[in-house]
This record gives sequence, structure tokens and C-alpha cells, in this order.
Amino acid sequence: MEETLAIFIASTLRLAMPLILAASGELVSERAGVLNLSLEGMMLTAAFFGALGSWATGNPVLGICCAVIAALAVATVQALLSVHLRANQLVVGIGFNILALGATTLLYRIIFGGLSREEIPGLPKLDIPGLSDLPFIGTAFLQQSVFVYVGLAFVGLIWLMLRYTAFGLAVRAVGDEPRSADKAGIPVLRVRYLAILITGFMAGLAGSFLSIADINTFTENMTNGAGYLALAGVIFGGWNIGRTIGACLLFGAATALQFQLPAMGINVPTAFLLMLPYLLALLAVAGVVGRLEPPTALTLPFQRGK
Amino acid sequence: MHGMPEGGVGQTAAAAMRPLLALESLGKRFGNLQALKDVALEFRAGEVHCLLGENGAGKSTLCNLIFGVYRPDEGVMRFAGKEWAPSGPAEALDSGIAMVHQHFSLVPRMTVVENLMLGQSRGILKRRQFAAMIRATAERFGFTLDPEAVVGELSVGERQRTEIVKCLMREPRLLVLDEPTAVLPPGEIGALLDICRRVADSGRAVILVTHKLAEIAKVADRVSVLRGGQVVAKAEMASADMGALVRAMVGREVKSLDVALAEAAGRTETRAGGDEKAPHALVCDGLGVRDRHGATRLDNFTLEIRAGEIVGLAGVEGNGQSELGMVLAGLLRPSAGRFFIGDTDLTAAGAAAVTAAGGGIVPEDRHAVACVTGMSVAENMYLNKLGQFTRFGLLRRKALNEAARGLMRNFDVRAAGPEAAFSGLSGGNQQKAVLARELTLSPLKALVAAQPTRGLDINAVEAVYRQIRAAANRGAGVLLISSELDELIAVADRIVVLYRGRLVGERPARASERGAIGALMSGQAA
Repeated sequence: MEETLAIFIASTLRLAMPLILAASGELVSERAGVLNLSLEGMMLTAAFFGALGSWATGNPVLGICCAVIAALAVATVQALLSVHLRANQLVVGIGFNILALGATTLLYRIIFGGLSREEIPGLPKLDIPGLSDLPFIGTAFLQQSVFVYVGLAFVGLIWLMLRYTAFGLAVRAVGDEPRSADKAGIPVLRVRYLAILITGFMAGLAGSFLSIADINTFTENMTNGAGYLALAGVIFGGWNIGRTIGACLLFGAATALQFQLPAMGINVPTAFLLMLPYLLALLAVAGVVGRLEPPTALTLPFQRGK
Repeated sequence: MHGMPEGGVGQTAAAAMRPLLALESLGKRFGNLQALKDVALEFRAGEVHCLLGENGAGKSTLCNLIFGVYRPDEGVMRFAGKEWAPSGPAEALDSGIAMVHQHFSLVPRMTVVENLMLGQSRGILKRRQFAAMIRATAERFGFTLDPEAVVGELSVGERQRTEIVKCLMREPRLLVLDEPTAVLPPGEIGALLDICRRVADSGRAVILVTHKLAEIAKVADRVSVLRGGQVVAKAEMASADMGALVRAMVGREVKSLDVALAEAAGRTETRAGGDEKAPHALVCDGLGVRDRHGATRLDNFTLEIRAGEIVGLAGVEGNGQSELGMVLAGLLRPSAGRFFIGDTDLTAAGAAAVTAAGGGIVPEDRHAVACVTGMSVAENMYLNKLGQFTRFGLLRRKALNEAARGLMRNFDVRAAGPEAAFSGLSGGNQQKAVLARELTLSPLKALVAAQPTRGLDINAVEAVYRQIRAAANRGAGVLLISSELDELIAVADRIVVLYRGRLVGERPARASERGAIGALMSGQAA
């Protein structure tokens, strides 16, 4: 039983990780007033270019770099459209997601061909002699891909940034009252731009986590809604980083149940388990669980004097 | 961290004699409007200088020139002996001029200390150090401010003190406060004035902008009166004749919202206003409204308006007028009491029923509530009676446009035609169109008009007044809600005063009652 629980915890953490990375990045943008519906597309683009880079160079770290650069490119265009050109953020996001799905599928078929399941070089798992072999703790927490721990460090940095730096303060101000922030001398557009780039960076990590750390291959539409789940996690988490991570862990746990319950011989329809994380997300977003106020200026473009 | 002006704040006696800021024949125009003309004023360190004037007298324009928001068209300014031609507010702040605006620029969801650190710190935040500075600054000027309080949960007075501390932490030599008392409940005004006094006593110059002399009389050293963009009176407060200053402020030859308008609006003294035997048009019986936090916004409001009578509702904004307007429009359900138009109880009936019962509503926020700016002028003018122009569920556009053309002529709505986009109309024409729609209800038993002339030019104002009076002459009972006392005196037959959600008194609508009504509005008499 204890062993089962440890495995459940380990797979929850592994499955929640891309959500945690993407959601904590998205949180920065949303606190600055920009909603990136394109998170899904950023992750998918990153997953593909991460796989491609790792496969082409044989080095998974270079693969992650490719993924981050690709996601940052998408984020730059998103920022240009939604911050500078004040395009509708939702429409831009949906457009990106459809484009990303089409483009990655096309490139995948051209480069990897038909239905190949090319194994790509991935990252090693953590192996601290002695510790990783501990009965419960080791299985649950200390046998993950190295990527998990590096990713968590970045999430910690975001938390510190939002709470303890002038930039974090500026992010919160431009998301709530951009006019007041402008009067206080904060460059509203630049802060939002940087916030979207942080989202892009984290989405790059999240996407490459899928293809490099988790499955070690790329499949068409492999994000399969993970970006949307991460967006739901931010809302569920009430734009608070701790609660957002909690929400992502919950979604991860719901996904983990898909594998765990059948393994334990409990007979639940697979289709229901596949639905579970999305059902939870829907309930969360509908405000069934303690709804919190979004940043006041979320999705509202800023223009001085208007 | 932020620039301390050269020479600091300490003043020698000799320096105090020279003005800190001198304005010489300053002029500013906006298009056709001469906002300021030939203004010469001096502001001294250590003094509280009150700038008095009615709305539109040019006070805010003058402040914005000093603060670098606008540039003067004529004249020069000298600050601390040097010519002062700021490139913008940033330069003003760096040079030692700070301004507390009427509308606060705070982020409500952040704490006081976070608001003050915004734009003032780099890298890692020094929260504790800033909090200590805030406490020290507040203490130096005789008040307290909790740096860890969330701004959105503070009272208006505390928010204002946050803005003042934000200014004072820059160690300005000149502090400008634009209408600081307008937003304050009477109890907080004294505290504000104490702070102003202490700021002046620390060797800074303070400019207090207001249109309410009585409130600030005890703290000012000097008063200058602006009217129509010109300085019409200057006085040392110690020797000032308050009556003369107020007369200078509201002088009749100026074309502003004034008693003179009453005549323009077709008012005759013979009009008794409200025939005792006329039937009730609008009756409010003990109306009460609570907001979602449970605070009482409107309390036991009882008022009877007879057919043909115009009742003005006076009060400083935020004393329950908006809530009353919403209730009477059928947009907000009162938590207590009832109201009737004619004999129909409309308390919980909704907006459509109010219209059907003959209640015309000119809402306070015409853009949000009164019109659909994306639709045509004709559609907007008949929005509440489009049924008249439908046959088998289809709109007969030709008939609609024809009818609208007539209405536009009658109400002088100037637009390219009935099909023109409503959003393209000027504010005055939009308001006239809304009035036209509401006044042509038939039968029109009651009209509730909230702030109907806000933002309109003088000709549109006259037209609106004329239409309101005409409606009353045709037998409608009118409730005119306005924060402009002059407007009420010009148009209404009697004036009731709302203060903190309660009716606190009633006076005849005469210019001579201005002082008494003003006292009621500020809660001085009950």
C-alpha cells in the first residue's frame, strides 16, 4: 500500500510538472494584465522544437534551449500583438493555438516522417546514492527527472520575484491599475512585454518537459490541452502562486489516477478518468471553489490618456 | 532615492519674503475657450494660499500649468527665482513641486507601502525601510498612516493621506492640492487642514484649490479668487471680507451656471411651482438602499412630487443620489420602502414597467445606461418605443427615421441625419437626444433627471433646462438630481438636500438660499 502511494505521489508530481511550469509563467503575465490563451500553442511549439533540437544535437540540454527559444519567439509575437497593437488577447491566443497545432504537425511529418516514434535523448533521473533509494521518500520525491528539480527552482524564483522585487511590484501594479502605475513612472508596456516573455520562457520549459523529460518523443498535439489546464490552474489558484501550484498538483493527481486505479484493480471507466482533470478544471473556473478576484485590468490593453 | 531640491526646505526670513512661485500675466486657451487670461499671482513659502473659484473658473488649468501638464500660451512663471517652464510633471516633481490630484492614483489591492514603493525603488524591495519612512513622514506632519494597510480597505481620508505622504516623501517645496475637500466627509476636513498647516509651517508653500471658502477659511493665509479665467480678487485672509470674496467668485456678469440662466430657461417669478391640489406624480415612501457590504447608502427617503413641480435634489456626490437614481430607474431594488409614479407601485417592477407607467429617466451615466452608442440616432431616440415601428416583427425603418427627423428638429439634436451613428454626436447632442426620447413618453407623468448637464457646453445646458421646464409645464413632476447648486437654483421650484443618504432639509430654490443649502449639503445643519 505504502509503495502504491509513493508511486502515486511520484506520478502526480511528474504529470503536474508541465502544468506547474506553464501556470507559474502564465501567472506573471496575468498579474501584469495579459491573458495568454496561446499558452497551449507555446507549449506545443516548445515540445516540438525541444524534441527536434535534442534529436538533432543528441544533447537534451540543447534541446531545452531550442524549446525555450521557440516559445520566446511565439511570446514575442503575442506581446507585439496584444501589448503594442492592442489586439484582442483571446482571439490572438486562439489563433496561435490553431497555428501551432498545424505547424508542428506539418513539420513533424516532414522531418520525422509518417508515424515514426523516434526515441529522442532525454534527461537522466535524479540518483542520489542512499537518498533516492529511501523506501517512501525516495520513491515519491527523489527519483524524478533532473528537469523536475531545475523547474521547481525557476518556480521559486518567480515567487521571489513577485514578492520581493520592484519588478514584481510593477507587474502587480500594471495588472491592476495601469493608469496609476503609469503616473508613478512605471513603463507599463515594457513591464507587460517582459511579463509575457517570462511566460514564454516557462512555457518553453513546460513544453520541453513533455517531450524530453517525460516521454522522450514528440507526438502530434502532444500537449493535448495541458496549456488550457495550466490556464485553469491560474484561475483556480486565484492568481496566487502557492494556490496555483496546488491546483496544478490536483489536476496532476486526477491524471495520475487514470493509471493508478486500474493498476490497483479498481474498475472505473477509462473515459471517465480521462475526463476527470478537465471536469475539475471546469468546476474550478466556474467558481465552485472559492472564487477570487482577477487582476482588475486583465485582458485590457493599456493606452495612455484613454 | 529621489531628488531633494537644492537648498532644501529651510527658509530664512529674507527668502520667505520673496515669493517661491510667481506667475506673470499667464494665459492659456483651449480652442475657442480662453481658460486663463492675464493671471498674476504669487505663492510664498510658509503660507497656505487658497485658490477659490467655481467649476470652470480655471483653477485646475492653473494647477496643471504649474505642474507642467500644460504649457502656458502667454506669460512666464518663476519658481525659486528662476524661470519655470517645466517639460512635464516629471520635471515638476524633480524640481520640488508635488500635486495631490482630485482623483487618486493608487492601486487599491496593494498596501500603502507597496503603493509608495511603486516607481520609487529598484531591484530588491526595501519594504521595512520604506514603512519606517512612511511612519516618520506621517508623524512629522501630525497624523498616522499604517503602511501595511491595503489601500482598497482605507477610508477616502486615509487614501488622501496616502497620496499626501507620497508627495511629502519627495520633500517638495510647493504642494498643490486640487479640490482636496470635495471627496472628504466633513469630519475628515479638519484633519486635512491641520496637515496643510503643518506642511506650510515646515517652510513649504501650499496651494489649496477649492470652491468652498468656508471650509478652508481657518487655515488659509491668503486667498485669490478666479472667475472666468481671471483673477478677480486677492486678499489676506486675516483682513478678508468673506462675503465680498464669495460675491467675487459667483459674480453675475460671468456667463456660467448662474441665476441668470433661470431667466434664459423661461422661468417667471409668478410660477408658484407645485399646485397644492395637483395630483402626485412621483412618491417615494421610506426608500432605503444597502450596498453589498451592508452599509446604508440611502436611508428612509420620503418625498412627494406633484404634477407640474420641479424638485431639485442637492448634495455632494456620493451621498446616495446615484442609488436613488438607480432605484427610480428600476435598475436597483430598494432594501426598504416603496415608490410610485402616479398611483402605480413600481418598487420591484423593473425598468420597462417604469417606462410603461410614464416615468422618464435621464440617467447619470448616459453612456453606460441611457444609450447604445453603436446604433443610429433614430434607433436611440425611439429605443423604448421601437414597438411602434414594427409590423409583423419587422422594423419599419423609413417610418422610424421620419419620426426621428421630427424629434431631432423639435429638440435641436444636431446630427448628419437620423441614420448617423450615435457615437458621432457631441455630448450635448447625445444628451438632447436622450431627453427627447424620455420627454416624449406619453403620458409622461414623472421625469427623473440625474446630472443632466454634466459635461455640456453652455448652449446645450440652456436647451436642457428649457426642455425640463417645458415638461413640468405640461404636467410632469420632475426630480432633478444635481451636484451643481446653481443648476438647481436655476431650474427647480424647491430644493431638498441629501446628506449621507438622508434627507436633511428643504429650502425654496432662490439664490438667497445658497448659503443655507450649502450648509445643509456639508452636513452642518440637520
